[in-house]
Amino acid sequence: MTLRLRLLLMIGVSMLLLWGGVAIWMLHGLEEEMQRTLDQRLEMSAHMVAGLMSQNPAAWEGRTGKAGVSTLSMPETVKGLACQVSLRGEVIASTPGAAPGAIDQVGPGFVDREVKGEHWRSYTLDKLGLRVTTSDRLSGRSTLLRNVMVAAVVPFVVALLGSLLVLWFGVGSGLRPLERLRQVLASRTPDSLTPIENAPIARDLQPLVNTLNHLLARVSETFSRERRFTSDAAHELRTPLTAIKIHLQVARITHGQEAAVAMDYAEEGVARLQHSLSQLLTLSQVEGTVSWEDGHLAEANEVALLAMRDATPEAPERIELDSDASGAELVLPQALAVTALRNLLENALRHSPASNSVRLEVRRGPDTVCFSVCDRGPGLSDATLVLAKQRFWRRGSGRGSGLGLSIVVAIAERFGGSFELLQRPEGGLEARLILPTTGRGITSLNHFTDSSSCA
Amino acid sequence: MRVLLIEDDELIAHGILAGLRAHGLTVDGVHTAAQAEAALSAVHCDVVILDLGLPDEDGMRLLGRLRASGMALPVLILSARDAVQDRVAGLRAGADDYLLKPFDLDELVARLHALLRRAAGRSVDVIEHGPLRLDPASGEVTLHGQPVVLSRRELALLAALLQARGRILSPDQLKDSLYDFSEEIESNALSVHIHHLRRKLGADIIETVRGVGYRFSRVSA
Repeated sequence: MTLRLRLLLMIGVSMLLLWGGVAIWMLHGLEEEMQRTLDQRLEMSAHMVAGLMSQNPAAWEGRTGKAGVSTLSMPETVKGLACQVSLRGEVIASTPGAAPGAIDQVGPGFVDREVKGEHWRSYTLDKLGLRVTTSDRLSGRSTLLRNVMVAAVVPFVVALLGSLLVLWFGVGSGLRPLERLRQVLASRTPDSLTPIENAPIARDLQPLVNTLNHLLARVSETFSRERRFTSDAAHELRTPLTAIKIHLQVARITHGQEAAVAMDYAEEGVARLQHSLSQLLTLSQVEGTVSWEDGHLAEANEVALLAMRDATPEAPERIELDSDASGAELVLPQALAVTALRNLLENALRHSPASNSVRLEVRRGPDTVCFSVCDRGPGLSDATLVLAKQRFWRRGSGRGSGLGLSIVVAIAERFGGSFELLQRPEGGLEARLILPTTGRGITSLNHFTDSSSCA
Repeated sequence: MRVLLIEDDELIAHGILAGLRAHGLTVDGVHTAAQAEAALSAVHCDVVILDLGLPDEDGMRLLGRLRASGMALPVLILSARDAVQDRVAGLRAGADDYLLKPFDLDELVARLHALLRRAAGRSVDVIEHGPLRLDPASGEVTLHGQPVVLSRRELALLAALLQARGRILSPDQLKDSLYDFSEEIESNALSVHIHHLRRKLGADIIETVRGVGYRFSRVSA
């Protein structure tokens, strides 16, 4: 149902009910008033006739009791009004239309009676032996009443219909600014997220338009962020896919050693694709609402050992572990803690010369554990320190997916920890991941300080 | 045809180098913008393949700079960015073609040949010279309608001479077309290949201009 029709129905129906009630009330009052007025007329006519008769008693004194004497005939002055005068039971004067009948049987005052199939309302007055009866035909009364009602109701109905018509147009023109706004919105393409401007908008709709514009701006921002992410993700996946495709094609058109090398490269591409995909999946799950509970307690030392094993299964000696956090239990699931730490270790190993080791320090705080991964690589400039945590950023043409640190940031944020990258004064980079503990386990007095914690 | 590949991703670079070589092209691969500029100033090449995400400089900016310095070689951009504005920006910066990753090796080769053909001012891919016919993309050579089997080097040599359209090419220019950086060249290798071509296509097909170089004979073979 359109807004216009709804408004019209609501206002129209309430108007009809209100004015209809008022009209019924008024008509009821009018009918009572008319009956009273007509009754008064009967009464006054009777008094008038009696008054006239009593002024000239000679005219009727001698006529008593003589049968056959014609009665005095009075002209019918008022249509529908009849009058009869009787003296001691004998009618001495009457109007032509007067209802005959036994007047004497009626007492003084008002009475409704039926004479020869016609309904009458009569008023009888006894005065100086005279009995004056005035009567109205009830049918005449109701015709009169109907005429009065019609005269009153027709203009009322016309006025009501007129106001409904005015209401229809009024509501229409009142809703025109909304309709204009609707047209402005309807004419936009689905991907148009620019604010609504330069449209003729009524002043009281401006807050609505402002809210809409705010919403559009937010949606547009989310959209472009998501689009950037999708485009970056597509880029990340296309690169290994390209390598796989080319090497497979090379393998098809070459033979022997060349083809074997191409297949090896294709497999390397598959491994890279798999890595990128699993990193993307991890990131989306960490940022999503998936529950990671796996029933394993994340004990700080165990997390460190598992992450070291995962990061470099072939050369475990490249990582030096220094831990005093044995027994500290982290609040996050073990799998995530290991993932975060493994990403940091992989980065450090990737950017360090193969001959150099990477140092992992695990220090226990009051209700946190700090994992510090220190490398002797080239480090990062101040500008790139900020960039490094962004998604898909990677140093040069590094082999990583560009998502490792984003995953660490997401894990730290989700479980109330923190993550920072620091330039080491002696060269290289320190990645510091602080994760909250459950508060259970053995308490240690060792605290890590704000300065670089790596020896 | 000698191609310079500027691609930072080693895995992809390996694939393109192997693939183009298997298609009979001579390719050099470099990983950075700086190496690319050095290679362009050092050797003659016919077409450049450029990846946009280089570690030391944005590929688009490198292209802009090369074009500003008067480099007229055809350039094909390789990119994983498929947005229309990216492609438009690449072509505006002076690229002649834009190929989206992942691509087909055959398509890359066909596009390279098309770029070269346009640069040479030809409208069809096949080069004809009298009764001799060469399809650079497929490597098919016919003489008087009869197919002639040529080795990869002989084919590259023939293509280089035909592309030059009668200009004299020095032995160094010809070697640039035949060998990339990574290959060892024996001192008489070029004369051996020319000798083989003359044997297969006719003795007077290649004219030796003493002290200067070689050119394709104007007299139809």
